[in-house]
Formats: sequence, C-alpha cells, structure tokens
Amino acid sequence: MLRFLAFRLARAALTIAMVVTFAFIVLRMSGDPAQIIMGADAPPEAVDAFRTAWGLDRPLWEQYFHYFGAILSGDLGRSMRDGRDAIVLVAERIPATLALTIPALLIKVGIGVPAGIYAALHRNSLADRIVMVIAVAGFTVPSFVLGLILVLVFAVQLGWLPSGGQESWRHAILPIITLGVGGAAVLARFTRSAMLEVLGQPFIRTASAKGVPWRMVVTNHALPNAAIPTVTIIGFMVGSLIAGAVVVESVFSWPGVGRLLVVAVSNRDLAVVQCILLLVACTMVVANLVVDLLYGLLDPRLRSAPRQATA
Amino acid sequence: MPEAPLTVAAPATAAPPRPARAGPPPMVLFGFGWLALMLAVALLADVVSPYAYTALDLRNRLSPPIGFGGAWLHPLGTDELGRDVLARLIYSIRTSLLIAFGATIIGALVGTSLGFLAAHFRGLVEQAVMALVDFSASIPFLILALAVLAFFGNSMVLLICLLGLHAWERYARIARGLALSAGAQGYAAAVRQLGATPWRLYGRHVLPNIASTLIVSMTLAFPEIILLESGLSFLGLGVQPPATSLGSMVGYGREYLTRAPWILLAPAITIVLTTLSVSLIGDWLRDRLDPTLR
Repeated sequence: MLRFLAFRLARAALTIAMVVTFAFIVLRMSGDPAQIIMGADAPPEAVDAFRTAWGLDRPLWEQYFHYFGAILSGDLGRSMRDGRDAIVLVAERIPATLALTIPALLIKVGIGVPAGIYAALHRNSLADRIVMVIAVAGFTVPSFVLGLILVLVFAVQLGWLPSGGQESWRHAILPIITLGVGGAAVLARFTRSAMLEVLGQPFIRTASAKGVPWRMVVTNHALPNAAIPTVTIIGFMVGSLIAGAVVVESVFSWPGVGRLLVVAVSNRDLAVVQCILLLVACTMVVANLVVDLLYGLLDPRLRSAPRQATA
Repeated sequence: MPEAPLTVAAPATAAPPRPARAGPPPMVLFGFGWLALMLAVALLADVVSPYAYTALDLRNRLSPPIGFGGAWLHPLGTDELGRDVLARLIYSIRTSLLIAFGATIIGALVGTSLGFLAAHFRGLVEQAVMALVDFSASIPFLILALAVLAFFGNSMVLLICLLGLHAWERYARIARGLALSAGAQGYAAAVRQLGATPWRLYGRHVLPNIASTLIVSMTLAFPEIILLESGLSFLGLGVQPPATSLGSMVGYGREYLTRAPWILLAPAITIVLTTLSVSLIGDWLRDRLDPTLR
C-alpha cells in the first residue's frame, strides 16, 4: 500500500511539473513575458526589475528553474489590469464558483447515479428508455443553450427567477440547475453502462445461480464493481469544481473563476490565465490522486500493481 | 472535405453483413438523414443560401420567422442589423462542420500515430507518450484551449488545430493498446518476418484491423468537438466575426433573447440536432462494430 501511495504521489508531482513546463513553454513562445505580464505601458525600469526578478536575462534552462522556483513560492505574477497579485484575484472568485459547483455536484451524484443504477437493473423497461432519452438529451444540449432556454422560460416568460447576477440565493438556482442537469445525464449514462457491464459478468450469474437473493447480488457484488468506473467520472467532476462552470458563469453573469478566466483570456491577461491553469491542474491532480487511492480501497487487486491505463 | 462524409458513412455500408438483423432503428436513420442534410447544406452553402450572410436588409430588422408574423422574404427572420438568419445559419453550419471534421481528423491522426509510436518503440518513447496522455487528461480541455487562445491570440487554423488536440489521448491509448495486442498476434509477426517496414506493417496491416474501433471513437469525439467549438464561440473566443459559427450565433442572439429569441433558437436547435444525430450514430456503430468498447 505504501509503494502504491509513493508511486501515485510521484506521478501526480510529475503531472504538475508538466503543466508548469507547458505554461513556461507557451509563455516563452508567445513573446517577451516581461512585457506581456507587466503590460505594454509598464515603465521600462519595472520591466527590467521583473526581468531580473524572474531571471529573464539568464540562459533558458536557468530561467526554467527560476520559473519553477517562483511558482513553488507562490509568485504567479500580477494581473495587468489592476496590478494586483493574480493569485489573490483568483482566490477571491473561488467561493462564488464553489457556491454553484458544489450544489450542482450534489445534484449530479444524487440524481445521476441512482437513475443509472435503476435503468441498468430494469434494462429495456419504460423507465430505462426514459432515463436514456433524458441522458442523451442532457449530453447533446450544450450548457449555454440549456441555460438560455431556462432564462427564456423562468426569467423572461414566467418571471419567477432572476436571469443573471449574484444578489441573492435565488440567482443561483438557474445556474445550479443548468450545471446539475447536464452532469447528471452524463453520470446516469455512465453508471448505467458500468452496471450493465458488471451484471453481464460470470460471477454475477454464479452468485444468483447458487441462490443468493438478487438484492444481495446487486448490493454486494454488482455495485462495488460498477463503482470503480463511476468513481473515476465523479473524481473528474470533483476536480473540475473550480473551473467547471466557465460557460454557465458567463451565461448567468456570475462573478466566479470561470467568468474571470473568460475576461482574462479576452484581455490576454496572461498572469491570471496562468494562475487559473495551474490551480485547475492542481485540483484535478489531487482529485485523481484521491480517486486512485479509492481504487485501492475498492479493489484490492489494484493496490500492488501500478495501473497501466485507465479502466 | 469531400472525403469527410465517407469516414462516417462508410462503416454503415461496410458493416458486418448479418442477415438476421434489420436495418438501423428509426432514431439512427433520422441521425443519418439529418447529418446528410447538414453536409449537403455545408457543401452547397453558396447555392442554397438566399442571401450573403453579411448582407443587410435595414428595412426588415428583427423581423420574426414565418409562423410568428414573418414573411417569406426572410423565412427564419432577421437579426438586429437585418441580416437573414437562414443565410447566417447556413454559413454557420458550414464553418462549424468544417472545424469539427478538421479537428476530428487531426485528433485521430495525431493520437493514432503517437499510439503506434509508443507501441512500436516501447521503452522511453512509450513512457513519454503515456506521460503526455496523463498530462492532457489532467486538465479540462476547455481550460487548456482557453489558455492557449489567451497566449497566442486567435485564428481559424489555430482553432482547428487546438480542437484537434481534443481527445487525441483517447486515440493514442486505443491505438497503443490495440497495436500491442496486434503485435502479439500471428499476422503482425508474420508480416514483420517477411521484412515489411514499420510503415507498411502499421499502415497496411495493423490499422485496418483496428479501424472500426477508431472510427467509433471518432464518431464519439465529433459531437464533443462541435460542443467545444460552439462553447468557445459562444464565449466570443472561438470563431471571430465576420466569420460566423453556430456557437457565435447563439452568443450574438443572447443579446436579443427577449426581443428576438429566433436569432438564438435556430442555431441552438441545429447544434442540438447535429450532436444528437452523431451521438446516436456513434452509439449504434459502437454496439454493432465494437462490443469491447463501452
């Protein structure tokens, strides 16, 4: 178990290092980083100071290590719009985003997983058909279309809920529903196929053939095995809590991380973009790490051998 | 572009001949029909479009579609500048399909090649490819795409290449896995013993054997790319004006949500029906051609 943990930790660290390298390469390829990060109208001495601070006058490999060091010490540059630390700017927006994504995650898991399990256990029934139609629709309707249709119906036509902004909890309802429905559909579809795959395995037939009640077969044999792929997807959803609402936040003018990212991209505010990129990568890697450890708990076979490819 | 429809349509005709099975279910037939319509519209945009997509008709601004008080002059209505919604829709379909086809093919090419490289050379090359796979699986693609657009600015070519990187890791994983298992089978060893070059081995022998799985992956990635492109364009960060795509039309129509919802609904319905069609076809193909793929 300890080797498994060490292997996973090393892999997570490597992935983060690759993201930092990616940011470094892309930043260097796109022009003079000092000018870009400080802004075109920055005074020359400030740009020079930045160059020395970030070691931009040194050879490239040395710059790379400097860059790495700066990021490790939390120095992610300043926003070129108001000169504040990019990391502070991003951190301020995180609570607003989580206020949408955490309830949405609860909806996804709370509706998607049970619906998928039910559909798989009643394959080809009317309920299964309905769940699948909704699931396919939920996948093919993009979130901005769903969001705008909800606005059109509930805000414009019925006038029940506000169409955008962040003044009260009522403003959060439509964005949460928009996020939750799409994710629940994906999860239902996924859970259903994971369940169906497990239910087709020989050990399920063996268990029911030797007289184990169906209810016990499902809870003790089918569900734990189907949990592994489902947990992977949920892990991915947890990993995108911070940046999973880019489009929806824009639809509802919700001042979260996603909105900040879109504005930063259109202004080419690279320090902020880089900061969000690293933050998202870190959450994703941590979520994946937790999922990997959960695999170890769910499936003893995975504890010793390092996983080659995702199941 | 003319070859593109073949990649999707070919397996339907070349599907395993099982006489016992009836044709595709009605929903899938609908999918094929809708997709054919979209392809025809995209290819014949210049012929079928009633107006140029930038043409203004200032006397008929925000005119509603037929059935909502509109006239046949503009069947789907006009926008705030009096531009014909149908004409813009037709050109948007062309742009969005072009991007989606281009990106799907790039993704499949890059991913499959890297997967083959990993399977062929093993060792360090394989480790490097798998590390790249881990890397791209670690960041939500939309965020990565936004970051690259922020760093490099925007152009149509960059956008297609960028979206082409979506899902490359899936093809790489599949191609590597299947090439490894093919390598363990007799035919690959035999061809290698006969002195075939790696190009010949992978191109002529391994690729045809794993093509059905790759084609299924392409049909599953295609709607995702349409959704990504329309999402980026909706945010104003994808296709840039004066060019128009389905997503940017929705983004533009959003401003007129209360006064002229048809500007937004026409492209929104098109996106939904197109992604739905390709998903239905993809699911059906997957069930038929490749029971191993979930």
